[in-house]
Amino acid sequence: MLGWEYPPHVSGGLGTACRGLTVALAQQGVEIDFVLPKIYGEENAAHLRLVDAAAPELVARQGTGRLNFAQLGVEFHEVPALLAPYMNAEQYREVLHALETAMSTASTAASDHPIAKLKAALASASVAGLTPSGSALAALPITPDTGPSDVTPQFVPDQYAGDLFAEVERYASRLASGLSGDWQVIHAHDWMTFPAGIALAQRTGLPLVVHVHSLEQDRSGSGCDQRIVAIEHAGLWAASKVIAVSHYTRNMIHRLHGVPLEKIEVVHNGVSVPQAVEAYRKDAQWTGPVVLFLGRITLQKGPDYFVAAAARVAKLIDDAVFVMAGVGDMLPQVMAQVESLGLSSRFFFPGFLNAEEVERMYCLADVYVMPSVSEPFGITALEAMSYNKPVIVSRQSGVAELVRHALKVDFWDIDQLASQIVAVLRYPELRQAMIASAGDEVRRVHWDAAAQTVMGVYQGLSAGAGARVGDSPGGG
Amino acid sequence: MPAVCFYFQVHQPFRLRGYRAGDIGKDHDYFDEGQNAAILRKVVNKSYLPANRKMMDLIRRHPGQFRFAFSLSGVVVEQMHAYAPEALASFQELVATGAVEILGETYFHSLASLYEDEEFVLQVRAHSDFMQATFGVSPRVFRNTELIYDDRIAGLVKNMGFDALLAEGADDVLAGRSPNFVYQAPNNGLKILLKNYRLSDDVAFRFSNGAWPEYPLTADKYVNWLRRVEGAGDLVGLFMDYETFGEHQWAETGIFDFLDDLPGKLLRHKQWSFTTPSEAITRFKSAGVLSFPRTVSWADSERDVSAWRGNNMQQLALERLYALSDAVRRRDDPYLSDAWRRLQTSDHFYYMCTKWFADGDVHAYFSPYESPYEAFINAMNVIEDFQIAVLGVPREPLPIAS
Repeated sequence: MLGWEYPPHVSGGLGTACRGLTVALAQQGVEIDFVLPKIYGEENAAHLRLVDAAAPELVARQGTGRLNFAQLGVEFHEVPALLAPYMNAEQYREVLHALETAMSTASTAASDHPIAKLKAALASASVAGLTPSGSALAALPITPDTGPSDVTPQFVPDQYAGDLFAEVERYASRLASGLSGDWQVIHAHDWMTFPAGIALAQRTGLPLVVHVHSLEQDRSGSGCDQRIVAIEHAGLWAASKVIAVSHYTRNMIHRLHGVPLEKIEVVHNGVSVPQAVEAYRKDAQWTGPVVLFLGRITLQKGPDYFVAAAARVAKLIDDAVFVMAGVGDMLPQVMAQVESLGLSSRFFFPGFLNAEEVERMYCLADVYVMPSVSEPFGITALEAMSYNKPVIVSRQSGVAELVRHALKVDFWDIDQLASQIVAVLRYPELRQAMIASAGDEVRRVHWDAAAQTVMGVYQGLSAGAGARVGDSPGGG
Repeated sequence: MPAVCFYFQVHQPFRLRGYRAGDIGKDHDYFDEGQNAAILRKVVNKSYLPANRKMMDLIRRHPGQFRFAFSLSGVVVEQMHAYAPEALASFQELVATGAVEILGETYFHSLASLYEDEEFVLQVRAHSDFMQATFGVSPRVFRNTELIYDDRIAGLVKNMGFDALLAEGADDVLAGRSPNFVYQAPNNGLKILLKNYRLSDDVAFRFSNGAWPEYPLTADKYVNWLRRVEGAGDLVGLFMDYETFGEHQWAETGIFDFLDDLPGKLLRHKQWSFTTPSEAITRFKSAGVLSFPRTVSWADSERDVSAWRGNNMQQLALERLYALSDAVRRRDDPYLSDAWRRLQTSDHFYYMCTKWFADGDVHAYFSPYESPYEAFINAMNVIEDFQIAVLGVPREPLPIAS
């Protein structure tokens, strides 16, 4: 199995999903070699054999030869002049680190202000190598005594920069030349591992399964990086079988890449049910009910709709507090929106949260809102449910297909979203009814079910004709 | 000499429009006229009109022999007045044949019998008056919303002057006795006619179920089942929603052909007849006192009232609504009173039912909402507006989030 990240070092849902799925597969007797670009030594994964692609023996065997994407069937039709609207992984990590540092060192009242924290974080991030530019944040009408006002950095909307593509290529080269094992199936998670998957399948003749947790289209909308789209295309066509995390994603793969629907299996994600940690609530800093948004603050996730709905809720529930956890290219814009609505005192922007902070935040929340514009799955909704929180999800999310005990809303229907939030906060009877049934629902869609389906895919492959690598009709 | 006693329920609620928290205090128009008109016309065309034609045909083919009872809620008659007068006319023609009895119920198809005796009596009287005005007959036999019934309700119904009442033949209440007799309530002599739920549900729920071992159900087979009662009972109460014909069981299932066949095939057996409830209590002697110590209904496998107030959302909504009764009466405004009573229609609370599994599918089928939670939110928003903005009754302090 080829992965890109694994807990605790995760930047999104991919690593968490890989853990859930592999634990359940291992319980069904599947032996898994799980290859990562780098192993940090903190991974707790007794059910796997973790393989470090950066291990000296693999690096040595890679030699100086470089893998050519074209050999793998990847055709870059064009290199777009404009850039994908989010940070690359490296920048992301640096900002996170800086943000955490800034937050942990903030002590004065002034620097406690969320915008001050963000500015400080961004200032250090820029020192760490981010290019300061832009003016959106500078335009924020922040309180006068906060933060360094001479530095006004902004997330640079850089594309997945050369180093991420280089990392993808390096990962593929090392696996293609150096890795061997007694495998029956090669299972690759998301586009970063597709080139490696194709290369391994070519070399070994084994069937390739590509697992799509999200598509570039979902992440970036019309601002897609065409190189990523090309890699996705090659992987989807090289695969013997494709796994999609929802029917929504399955249809998207079919529509965008022409992959026949019968080749795409849907495996809904599930989340493990953690033991509820009510202790967190004891030292909560908020007295009023907490409305939680948790995810990247970017177009796809609908943060602006969340703020617009919150403005309506704030008028009806005097002490409601709105927490937007996460970072992303729209954070400055969203903060500006909050300021201009006069809601700064009701909003909190804790930045990126690590796994433990995420858990704490779920425990503190009274309702979890996921107003995504486009969401292939939306595992956070199930996570929130597993913490016994009532959940409101957009109909434009894959998870909406799956859960019944959540409120559903069209992301653009701000009045309806506000109405649902108000009702959940106002009526304990509603919260209790939703939670009582949602717990069962989360257990039902647990990873075991996902693993069963994946087993079915594997068995279908070993019973079938084996690898059909590279038989793409013109996709390259 | 056994008889079949058919009773068909005709009811459609005034459904609420989508009403959001932001509308509270600004908009006091609660009912979705467009949706209600569209649904009523659909049901009229698929069910009421073709079924009425069939009934008229059967009454003519079996003169003096084919007889049955309707119960029409006040709110469905109002809607027929407004959206489908031809359907109302066809019900009137059926009643005019003299072969059809009209039963009494609450005008608003409400749960008032569980909450306020005074309100319950008022709604039953309003219904009787409306039936008199619409059909020229005064109901003598009562059936409560969804056959909700217990010994306490028996007293209320008897005091209003009804001769008899229809109830569910629940196994635990009968405790081994047969549902196929007339019984009477303890202390007051009110006659009770019981639903034979197995034979009723064979038609209403199982008729088109291909997985049912008895599928397909023919009139011949059904007549054989009815004849098992010979010598062991006086009457078989076949009580069901009228929408069974054409709406719950589509015309394509053959339900109208079954209805067409059944009376003739049963009447071939000379000892059998059809009876209305009022006739039944004069023809058949009471088999004894039957006590209903618990509140029974005809809904779900539990045959209790949990479909309407089984969860906390339902209880809260009902309590909030009935807590307004004094304020509504003080205002004494016909429009406000009517709106408040339309909100009492049982359907609004049925939509909030969370018994998803087993019985849940039936609930989902009848609900205009995506989930019981949305049904609750919508109704609570309307009740909030009615309470705060219309009546000026302050809300209790917000509960603290837990």
